[in-house]
Amino acid sequence: MSDPDSMPSAARQTAVDPKLLDLLVCPLTKGPLRYDQGGQELISEQAGLAYPIRDGIPIMLADEARALAEDDAIPASVRAGDDPAP
Amino acid sequence: MTDPIQDAEHRLTSSFGFQAIRPEDKPKLVGAVFARVAERYDLMNDLMSLGLHRAWKARLIDQLAPRQGLTLLDVAGGTGDIAGRVLDRLAARGEAPSAITVCDINPAMLAAGRDRALDANRLQAIDWVCGDAAALPLADRSVDAYTIAFGIRNVARIEQALAEARRVLKPGGRFFCLEFSTLQLPALQALYDAYSFRIVPWLGERVADDRAAYQYLVESIRQFPEPETFAAMIARAGLERVRFRTMSAGIVALHQAWRL
Repeated sequence: MSDPDSMPSAARQTAVDPKLLDLLVCPLTKGPLRYDQGGQELISEQAGLAYPIRDGIPIMLADEARALAEDDAIPASVRAGDDPAP
Repeated sequence: MTDPIQDAEHRLTSSFGFQAIRPEDKPKLVGAVFARVAERYDLMNDLMSLGLHRAWKARLIDQLAPRQGLTLLDVAGGTGDIAGRVLDRLAARGEAPSAITVCDINPAMLAAGRDRALDANRLQAIDWVCGDAAALPLADRSVDAYTIAFGIRNVARIEQALAEARRVLKPGGRFFCLEFSTLQLPALQALYDAYSFRIVPWLGERVADDRAAYQYLVESIRQFPEPETFAAMIARAGLERVRFRTMSAGIVALHQAWRL
């Protein structure tokens, strides 16, 4: 659904309103979220899910969320080699 | 299934229009409908309801009586129609915009709403979030008012949606639901049926290029329970002082309740 060709508009719309971030909780656990600005995700440690932010709109649906791999808690240096290192 | 409330809940969760479906399939089926009609949604509302939806929504805003500082969650409000009307009402009173969060399960509806808000220069007042009415991403007791207009019949798990409405409302917060209801004038039934099942799908085909989507919409209207039954569902979810008022000979009903 994202449109890589519309970069100017995407850049303009990427910023998430800070007051919205204050308002949001994990829809499953109703627990707090951590905003990962680089990855454009809202992370629920309790649920083990990362909710994507697409075009500045948080997608707070468990079906759309990325399951936090155990890798995410382990330093990249000790991960298995099949994961291309950043 | 002798309990009329459970019966109504079951009918809602396991139907897609007149089609019997598995409850878990409803979100995807409904999602596809709204993804297809998002761009033409507000225009189609005008055409289908002959403009009456404006009066119905005006009644909702009258009852909500928004004041400066009100925090409002509008659920299933993707195109920002209700949020825009609330902002217009505040502006007409010379009051500053409220904090309005629009939550919709459908990203296409939200995208249509945000684009329109951008054009109307009212982006700052509205927060847009994609979420499920039955699993809201808001904290307990966080909003003064919850509105849902022509949305709840599309929700797969309606009793959970009502429980979530109660959860996010502050004590003293108010719940409003505008939804199609049951025609109360038997003399108009044949006309209403012909309009619903012949004209509306035809309009959908002509205007939104999607007959099936509008066939679903009119069928889903007929699956929705009578206002008394829906009021009982709201009360069962723990909301109090439930009341409703029908409009346009029962074509729609506005239900209201409090979290006390």
